[in-house]
Amino acid sequence: MLNYIIKRLFSTVPVLIGISLLLFFMLRMLPGDPAQVLAGQMATPEEIENIRQQLGLDRPIYEQYAAYLIRLARLDLGRSARTQNPVTQEIWARLPNTLLLAVVAITLACLFGIPAGIISAVRPYSWIDYLVTTSALFGMSMPVFWLGLMLVVVFAVILKWLPAGGTGSWQHVILPSITLAAFVVAFIARMTRSTMLETLSQDFTTTARSKGLQERVVVIKHAFKNAMIPIITVVGLQFGLLLGGAVLTETVFAWPGLGRLIVDSILARDYPVIQGAILIFGLLYIMVNLVVDLIYALVDPRIRYD
Amino acid sequence: MQHIILRLKNIIWILMLMAGLGLILQSAEARADIAELTIGIGIDADTLNPQEQTTSLPMNMCELIFDTLVYQTTDAKLEPRLVAGHEISSDGLVYTLKLRQGVKFSDGTPYDAKALKLTFDRALDPKMRVPLRFIINMIKEVSIVDDYTLQITLKYPFAPFAPSLSQVLVSPISPAAIEKYGDDIRQHPVGAGPYVLKEWVKGDRIVMVRNENYYGPKPTVAQLTFRIVPETATREAMLRAGQIDICYKPLPSNLAALEADPNITVEMPLDTRVIFMGLNCKKGVTANKLVRQAFNYAVDKKAIVNKILFNTAVPMEGPVSPINFGYHKMEHQYGYNPEKAKELLKKANFDFSKTVQMRTPNGRYLFDKQVSEAIQAYLQAIGVKTELRTYDWPTYVAGLLKPIEETELEVFLLGWGPMVMDADLTLYGQFHSSVNPPKGLGAAHYSNPEFDKAIEESRLEQDPQKRLALLIRASEIVWDDCPWIWLHTEKFVIAYKSKIKGMVVTGTELFYPTYVTIK
Repeated sequence: MLNYIIKRLFSTVPVLIGISLLLFFMLRMLPGDPAQVLAGQMATPEEIENIRQQLGLDRPIYEQYAAYLIRLARLDLGRSARTQNPVTQEIWARLPNTLLLAVVAITLACLFGIPAGIISAVRPYSWIDYLVTTSALFGMSMPVFWLGLMLVVVFAVILKWLPAGGTGSWQHVILPSITLAAFVVAFIARMTRSTMLETLSQDFTTTARSKGLQERVVVIKHAFKNAMIPIITVVGLQFGLLLGGAVLTETVFAWPGLGRLIVDSILARDYPVIQGAILIFGLLYIMVNLVVDLIYALVDPRIRYD
Repeated sequence: MQHIILRLKNIIWILMLMAGLGLILQSAEARADIAELTIGIGIDADTLNPQEQTTSLPMNMCELIFDTLVYQTTDAKLEPRLVAGHEISSDGLVYTLKLRQGVKFSDGTPYDAKALKLTFDRALDPKMRVPLRFIINMIKEVSIVDDYTLQITLKYPFAPFAPSLSQVLVSPISPAAIEKYGDDIRQHPVGAGPYVLKEWVKGDRIVMVRNENYYGPKPTVAQLTFRIVPETATREAMLRAGQIDICYKPLPSNLAALEADPNITVEMPLDTRVIFMGLNCKKGVTANKLVRQAFNYAVDKKAIVNKILFNTAVPMEGPVSPINFGYHKMEHQYGYNPEKAKELLKKANFDFSKTVQMRTPNGRYLFDKQVSEAIQAYLQAIGVKTELRTYDWPTYVAGLLKPIEETELEVFLLGWGPMVMDADLTLYGQFHSSVNPPKGLGAAHYSNPEFDKAIEESRLEQDPQKRLALLIRASEIVWDDCPWIWLHTEKFVIAYKSKIKGMVVTGTELFYPTYVTIK
């Protein structure tokens, strides 16, 4: 198992180099000059050129990439063109917020989505099944932006129970994590329902039932355990997406996370920050996938990595 | 005995009445010691080094930390701040600045001519990143006369130099802090302003506390917290929910609701920023002056201001914002007159088969795309075929500075908001021949020797009245030539709790909660 983990960790290096290469050249294909954006609309062409030189953008592109790779090897992500701060500092200031929101949201989504999916599968076409599937449909179709603003209006403006935005206390996490979880909970509930329906109709569940086992045991110990692999895959993928795709929620709730940093940096053509943040996302995504693969082995004894 | 008791009763009644009156008076009295004010803003500061700034909001923060040499009042007059007074030589080349004495930076370093010279030297050093250096680029030399006197010699006379000293670009930075932090001063700003940076949590908040050593009157607010809330609707919700006290730039479409709320005050003074549709004066169909004038008649600017911008702007009636020194309402106005526009196009032998290329940024200025779409519709209504392309700001701005041979600009939306309230910055900065791209920012490629002469003379003229006449002359020439579709002057909108009194809000998009009181 340890060998497998080490091997997987080593395999991330070429993947990350691949990401860096693609990103580096794709970003530079975008129209727009970072020096001009930084200099502001009123700066003279001489000042813009001055900034371009300071950022090293006047050098040939291959030279810029080589310098970037050398820095990367030293775990130096460079300095932000906009703030002049080290990119690592910019990322570390926001990464814990992103992780916190993603972890709370995925936990909420699992806590509500999995039981809802199971209940719905156990009582197919009952009122509770219709309730779950209709709610899931709502959850998946509701625009995040709209849901977020509605929650703000109800819980912050009208009821004054929760803060509308920002960070600082556990209350600040509630509304953004609910907003973020809404889509995922619906997705997980639907996934759980369909997988459970499939496993509940398989021969081993019929055998378990004919053995006289209680329905609760049949559902949880036999059917759910076998339905877990696809659910874990979905949860893992959704968690990976939550890490990078929370920009709308972060914007509505003034949550200082990585998603917003990336969007702001793209709008300012701040290449070092975009490169650094996406590289970190790539790394996190690989790690999440590794953890998911390891959980497979824990859940299913047939899977071994020796 | 009864008499005494009666008198005592009367005294008690009077005392009670006085106490009650006192309580009433006390409750109505404005409180001048406020623990904290929270301001909801849309963006985080990139740097708090005032010399690196280009954006009005972080400049506002810098001003609270660093103060300025002089202060330009809302009616464009100059008041002394860290410079107590200045003298200008008769040839307009030498400015002698008398520094305020007894001032210390918030770290205790004394403020003197040496400190101010260091600030100027850094701002003029080509190795430093100073995007707005053009404001002081005419400085030839800065020399120390004595501990509290600094002499600035210009390369050429430049009449708007004195108001330029109101910019944070030349706000003194503590020499000790420069030595301690070097370039990282942008994270650790130390100035002589009314506030000191306490905490900066990236993307979340910037907290400032009162500078107890401030040379001016003690600020009434002990702590200012700038909370970064990018979504305007959330900022407004937070203001209504009482989670912030001041909402920076609320959404115009919600202004009516905010104004109807008795707990909220909305202020919107006129801004220096004008929004215009640039017309290429050298290339394409708009090279013809008659076509440019026709386009001005074709667009209903009042309707744009009313229907699209919810009256958060006023139509332009002169080539610069009305709050600038040098503004003059032009005698001739380009009122909405599509028939006259068609007539002028006919006179210009306009080729109606040609498609005019329009460009607009999306999200840079208030409802920029929608305004451009309206103009497109107005032009189509007089028979002009148009194609409108939308770009994000970095892509858009990259196309602005191309020389005439390469430029693809025909009709393009842009804004121009100088920080100094002087018409020169717009008239010279946009219309003088020398600012035609790639050398400058006059993307309309306008050139008129008569205009150049008037504006050049205005820069040399030291008498304000004569200078005003020259600026008006220049304005009349360019107004007639129509290098722009003259659209509107924006308003700077800010909303805050009604109990806050005494907030100073300026047309250069600055606000000062320093001496507010709470009722």
